[in-house]
This record gives sequence, structure tokens and C-alpha cells, in this order.
Amino acid sequence: MAPDELTRLGIAEAGEQIRRRALSPVELTRAHLDRIQREDSALRAYITVFSAPALAAARTAEEEIARGGYRGPLHGIPIALKDLVMTRGIPTTCGSRILKEWVPDADAAVTARLHAAGAILLGKLNMHEFAYGPTGVNPHYGTPKNPWDRARMPGGSSSGSGVAVAAGLCAGALGTDTGGSVRIPASLCGIVGLKPTYGRVSRAGVIPLAWSLDHVGPMTRTVADAALLLQILAGRDPADPSTADVPVPDYRRALEGGVRGLRLGLPKNLFFERLDPEVRAAVLGAARLLEGLGASVEEVPLPRIPHAGPASFAIIASEATAYHEPYLKTRAALYGADVRARLTAGQFVLATQYLKAQRARQVIRAEVDAVLGRVHALLLPTTPIPAPRLEAREATVDGLTEDVRWWLIRCTRPINVTGHPALSVPCGFTAGGLPIGLQVVGRHFDEAMLLRIGHAFEAVSPARGRRPPLEA
Amino acid sequence: MADISTQLLQALSQELSRIPADPADLTVAASQIGAQQDGLARLDDLDLLAVEPATVLLPPAEANRGAR
Repeated sequence: MAPDELTRLGIAEAGEQIRRRALSPVELTRAHLDRIQREDSALRAYITVFSAPALAAARTAEEEIARGGYRGPLHGIPIALKDLVMTRGIPTTCGSRILKEWVPDADAAVTARLHAAGAILLGKLNMHEFAYGPTGVNPHYGTPKNPWDRARMPGGSSSGSGVAVAAGLCAGALGTDTGGSVRIPASLCGIVGLKPTYGRVSRAGVIPLAWSLDHVGPMTRTVADAALLLQILAGRDPADPSTADVPVPDYRRALEGGVRGLRLGLPKNLFFERLDPEVRAAVLGAARLLEGLGASVEEVPLPRIPHAGPASFAIIASEATAYHEPYLKTRAALYGADVRARLTAGQFVLATQYLKAQRARQVIRAEVDAVLGRVHALLLPTTPIPAPRLEAREATVDGLTEDVRWWLIRCTRPINVTGHPALSVPCGFTAGGLPIGLQVVGRHFDEAMLLRIGHAFEAVSPARGRRPPLEA
Repeated sequence: MADISTQLLQALSQELSRIPADPADLTVAASQIGAQQDGLARLDDLDLLAVEPATVLLPPAEANRGAR
């Protein structure tokens, strides 16, 4: 197989070949490193690439497997991490000049889990500075380019993760999601992104944006690959008291259930109120395809969900500014202008507003829980607009002009407020060739259901089999 | 959208937060904070007195509720 074809293999496919010793982890890793070297000066997905350590780890994996020490489906698979996930002895910049020289002395819990599974860490991925923005624009390390149209935003904040996965610069990646930062770049870059349930995956060793809304999740080219990564990441971690002691099911087995007999809800208010017409057509088309597979789809009411936006703002602004206050007092000039202005705003949210927002979450979550007691999952758009142009500041939909950032987080941030799991899966393309994402939201800790629905949908999705152009 | 004065924010920043703030950042902050005030006020429409005053969202105690 030609090296570039190796970089198109999914985790499941490459892992199976490695297990059968039909594919060398060294060959696979080298193919990805070569591709990074060739493409990433233009794409800007990586901040740090671990060329020599990755090859050394791949050789170790190959030797272990040859000795009969196969560890599982991640063994020998090249994975990359958003650069706010701590890596022992390796810089973790958070996409910022403030932490440019910082080298952690410990791994994040998720880094350690990937190491234990035998994954090969290729490098650290570009991001919106300190994860505080949904566009992926980064003034310090260069803005990652959307592989489908390099004049378009990749989405953020896990912008490098979205670009690297879409462009074959890694087999899978980790992102983080506080208001949509896994799902937005997944949608804009045409890949799969999973925000697990709050409490499902440890955030220990992951630099926070807003600790009561932050989630770590996988970003992959297929739903099956997301299942394999989640299997490694999920579970209680004493180092993160927010993680829950809820059994972790076999996600790979869950993929095969199909959707026949499932009840799916379309919450029309907010999520479908203002949508780009092509996004609306693709998401409603996805619902019809799922009906064709045997699911039933019904409209469901979520009248309190519009309160999630202001609640999200108050919580993110307060928690982010509380975390960053020491840097704001000593090194404010090192922040990019957009993030510094947002952090400045956070000091003006009243404590009473923050506390009301936290209490409001319980009400909004209970409403979504009640609806999810009647249906197995909700279907929503991931983003109401496709990838905006890099220079865009505003977008107009249905006659309403708002900041691009407001549009990008509109359909994702309510699900951080409630803590439910949410999967973004490609469901179509605009006439101009930009990806569109379908968001599937499920019950707490029922990621298995989302993976099952996403996997069934993937087989009939209009987006199946489409890849971004490999060269610029 | 509420009209928030940058002078007010400057005073709060200096006297309460004690975070040095750039005037340009305060202009953006005034716009961002002002845009959220109506939505934050509407949180009062929810029956928050009936809610346990938790300040942090804890993981849900139960999974797999509802229809199967």
C-alpha cells in the first residue's frame, strides 16, 4: 500500500492489520510523519511533532507485537493530542505564547491511558488560544486551514485536531469541548467528534477553560474509530473527582445494534429556528434516512433550552477569568487580542449571575432528561452554518446578522450546559463542497446509543466516502 | 442589548478586580457583557427557588433511564 493510502486508513482498519501483522506500526507512523512534513507547513495543524520519539515508540510497538504482546486496537496507531493535554517532558503550549516554554513533568490521565494502550503519540495539535474560541483562529502559531477549502475556518477550539484528522495527518486525535470545541471543528472539517457525558472521561492534566463545562473527547474519521478511542479513555479517575463510577460498556459491540425501533426526537425550537438552508436540508435529510433504516422521528419540545446560551456565557466567562487572573495581572500582553478581551469581560460577570446560571443548569438538564425519557436520542444540526471564510466576522442567516462565533456555538453549547453526550457525524455537503454535521444527543452515559446511531447513519450518509483534496 | 459604559468597567477593573485592562479590551468587554444582560435576566423566568443551590454540575447519579 502506498504511504499516502496508509494515512487514509481508519484506526479500526489499521489496527486490525497491525494485529494480523499485515501492517507495520513503523511503516504507518512513518507514512504519517512524511505526510505531516509535506503538508503541515500549509495546513498548520501541529504545534509540535514528535518525529524521533514517535518512530522509536513505533519500533517498540512492533517488537512487542512480534513477541505476542499485542495490547489491543490502539497498539501501534498514530494519535495526536490537542496542545492543552499535558505530556511529560514535552511542551504543552495551549496555543498561547504564555505557556510557550512550559514543559509539564507529568502526563494527563488521557495521555497515560493512550500510552498504556500502545498508541503512538505523533505530536501536539494547534488550537484556539487556551481553547477560548470556536473559530480556530490562532495569532501565535498560525491558523489551521480547513482541508476542504483552505480559505475557510477549521472551527475550534480543537482546530488542529479537526484538520489533522480530516487531512490524514494522524489516525485519530483528542480534543476538548466546553461549548462545542470537539463538535464544531468535526462538523466544519467533515469528521466525527464525540463529546462524552460530563464525568465520563478524566480531565486530570488537561488545562481547563471552564472546569464545570469542560469535556475531553475523540475526533476520528469514522464512528467505529471514535468507539475504539472512547473505550480507552472512559472510566472513573480518582485524580478527577468529576468522573463517575459508571460501568464502561463494550462500545465496539454497541455499534452493531442498528436503529430499527429506536425513537428519535427533533427539538425544533432554537436548534432549527435559524439555519443555513443547506444545513437544514442536510439534517432533515439525515432524519429521513434514519427513518428509512427503521427509526421513528418525532418533534419534541425543549422550551427552556434558550436559557442555556446565557448560562453558558456566565459560567465560561467566570471560570475562565478566575483561572487566568494571574496571567492577566502579569502577562496580559502575551494573549491574542480576542482571547484577552474575552478574559477581560469575565471579571464583570456578577457572582449572582454565575450562581443563577449553575442553578439554571439543573432545570435545563431536567427538561432534556425528561424528553430523553421518551426518545432514545435527539437529532440536531452541529453548527447552523458551514465553515465561514477565515476573514469573516459576521454571518447572516434568515435575515439575522450575528458574530460568527455566536453562530458556531449556538447548537453545541446547550449540551455542555446539560452534560449530555453528543456526537457529530458528517451528514452531507453544501453545493460548494463544505461539510455539514449532524449532532446526535443521548442520555447521560449512553454514548453507546450515540455510537450505534452514528454508525448506522454513516453507512447511508450522503457524506460517506468523501475525502478532502489531499494536496493544496 | 444593555449599554455598559467603559468608564464603569475601568473603575471595576481597577478597584475591585485589580486586573489592569487595556481600553480597547474594555470596549469589547462592554459589548460582550451588554449583549448578555437580557438573557441573564431571563434566567429569573426559571423556577430557580425550587433548585438545589449546587454550584457545580456533578455527574448524574444514574445512567440509562427512560425508554429502551
